[in-house]
Amino acid sequence: MMSNPKRLHPISAAVNFLKHLKEMLVPFLVFVVFGSRGGNGEIVQLVLSIGIIAAVFLIGILTWWRYTYRLEEGELRIEYGVLVKKKRYIPLERIQSLDLSEGLLQRPFGLVKMKVETAGSTGAGEAEAVLTAISKEDADFIQQAFSAAKNNPSEPEAEMQNREVIYKIKPGELFLLASTSGGAGVVISAVFAFVFQFEEIIPYEKVFTGLEGFIANGMIFVSLLIFIVFLMAWLIALIGSMLKYAGFTLIRSEKELIVTRGLLEKRQMTIPLNRIQAIQIRENLLRQPVGLATVYIESAGGSIEDNESARLMILPIVKKTRIAGLLKPHLPQYELQPGFFKAPKRALNRYLWRGFLWILPFVAVPLLLFRPWGYFSLVLLVLALGWSHLKYRDAGWDISSQQLALRYRGIVRTTVFMRRNRIQSLSVKESYFQKKRNLATIEAAAMSGAGGTGGTVRNLDRKEVYAIYKWYSYTGLKQQKKRP
Amino acid sequence: MITEPHKRIPARGLLAWRISGTLHSVFPFVFSGGAIAAAILFNWPIWVIGASLMFYSAYAYLVIMTFPSLKWKRWRYEVRENEIELKYGLFVIKRTLVPMIRVQHVDTRQGPILRKYRLATVTISTAATVHEIPALDMDEAEELRFFISQLARSAENDV
Repeated sequence: MMSNPKRLHPISAAVNFLKHLKEMLVPFLVFVVFGSRGGNGEIVQLVLSIGIIAAVFLIGILTWWRYTYRLEEGELRIEYGVLVKKKRYIPLERIQSLDLSEGLLQRPFGLVKMKVETAGSTGAGEAEAVLTAISKEDADFIQQAFSAAKNNPSEPEAEMQNREVIYKIKPGELFLLASTSGGAGVVISAVFAFVFQFEEIIPYEKVFTGLEGFIANGMIFVSLLIFIVFLMAWLIALIGSMLKYAGFTLIRSEKELIVTRGLLEKRQMTIPLNRIQAIQIRENLLRQPVGLATVYIESAGGSIEDNESARLMILPIVKKTRIAGLLKPHLPQYELQPGFFKAPKRALNRYLWRGFLWILPFVAVPLLLFRPWGYFSLVLLVLALGWSHLKYRDAGWDISSQQLALRYRGIVRTTVFMRRNRIQSLSVKESYFQKKRNLATIEAAAMSGAGGTGGTVRNLDRKEVYAIYKWYSYTGLKQQKKRP
Repeated sequence: MITEPHKRIPARGLLAWRISGTLHSVFPFVFSGGAIAAAILFNWPIWVIGASLMFYSAYAYLVIMTFPSLKWKRWRYEVRENEIELKYGLFVIKRTLVPMIRVQHVDTRQGPILRKYRLATVTISTAATVHEIPALDMDEAEELRFFISQLARSAENDV
């Protein structure tokens, strides 16, 4: 069915056209705005502009015309290139994951965009292929061929029937997820960036000096304004997340985990079970107190550009106590509910010192220079120390046979589970002060997409840290095996 | 407890580091020299000259003498059949284990200074991390590279 070269749906010519146009937007605007120098220039400019657009349109069509794909001899073969003909043959068993998405352009025609990802090491997104618009049947066909190549090639039919829904998001959970995500911060910074873009046009300084008297009298008004801005940002982020994660479903097929989500743009991500490098449980500040957490999977697929597919969210929001029960049947080699060994009491001092030194400049400068308001910076100090105490409380490790679990806090509390054969390297760090207190830091690195991931836990008991080190070392084990 | 790695960087490595430290101190040399010249020309207060001299000598001493010696003294490595172990660090001592089967590739690199002393920097890359042995005897570096590529060929790649 697919051994003959096929073209993408013609709509992909439009996609190409729009993409090129978007890339050219800035130079084009510069050209239009600053290019005109009276009289004749304008006509030349108009002609040139139309010419450029027409050329871009033509390139879009040509790109589509020259782009073909086919399945042949167990390879996905893509040939493309307008001037230089390029061929990319991807063996099906080399494919790490297939991502499907339906954008606004694809949906009216019942098409999907398929992203093919191979192992990340080639870097810079070059190794992957994107089929911008193909029919759903073709996508299914490629997917089945991929699954079949991965697993036992004889029975692709059984594969399809063996599906089991592990998790499906409920409307209440979706709302909870969206309202407690960190997206609001992103929106706020985007708003600020946008506002300051127009600094040159809008005379902020004048506006501000005019407002000064008003502001002095109207602290309440300003507070209210800020509150409204934050509320709006939060609402935008809320809607954005709801659209993104609507209908989130995690499905287990024979040897893969499949995630589908999204309302406007539907996405489907597939990760073979044997490509999983690590599992991460993250609890942010809003969710942790109510016992909710998010679960991610780190995989070997993905590229530098698109880190989202390397760290895939598989359970968006779920009671922490349910995680092990939900995932145990499907990831039996992971022990997701271990008892943690915590940092010893004497480590608390180290954590507090660290937090204190970090925050010191931010407290000392206002305190010395801006009195009496500077005294408010003492609040920062209290916060930093509280934070350090949390970090101390959360530090922990556990080894369950072939798995290392590390728990630590940056801003969110993170627990990472790694199998021994997925840990790429392991380090122990000891500073002078740690040595004095018989403490050490453990650092484990696993692969994730094109880069690394892992965990660092500071100030654990030195003996325990070296126990982990010994557990990881291959030398001890091999020697035992050799002696009969 | 696992035996500590015991191999050291060759003494020539220390010499090479001192030379590159000397090269590094050229910039502060120019900077302090400029400050002293300006102080003399424009009748700046005398302490500028003193401070510049102090700054330069402290910097040069640290970069040429203290740091390379400390670094050399602390550096240990060992290549075993199944893993590579590194131990290094000026103030924070770091010990790292890299299993052979996780090694993706090994590179050797050589600048003009290292070449003069027949040394090379060896970089060991895994799928997630990159590790470096900063100065190894060239033959040993070559041997190591060969050894690891041999092992990598026999081990099953299960990333």
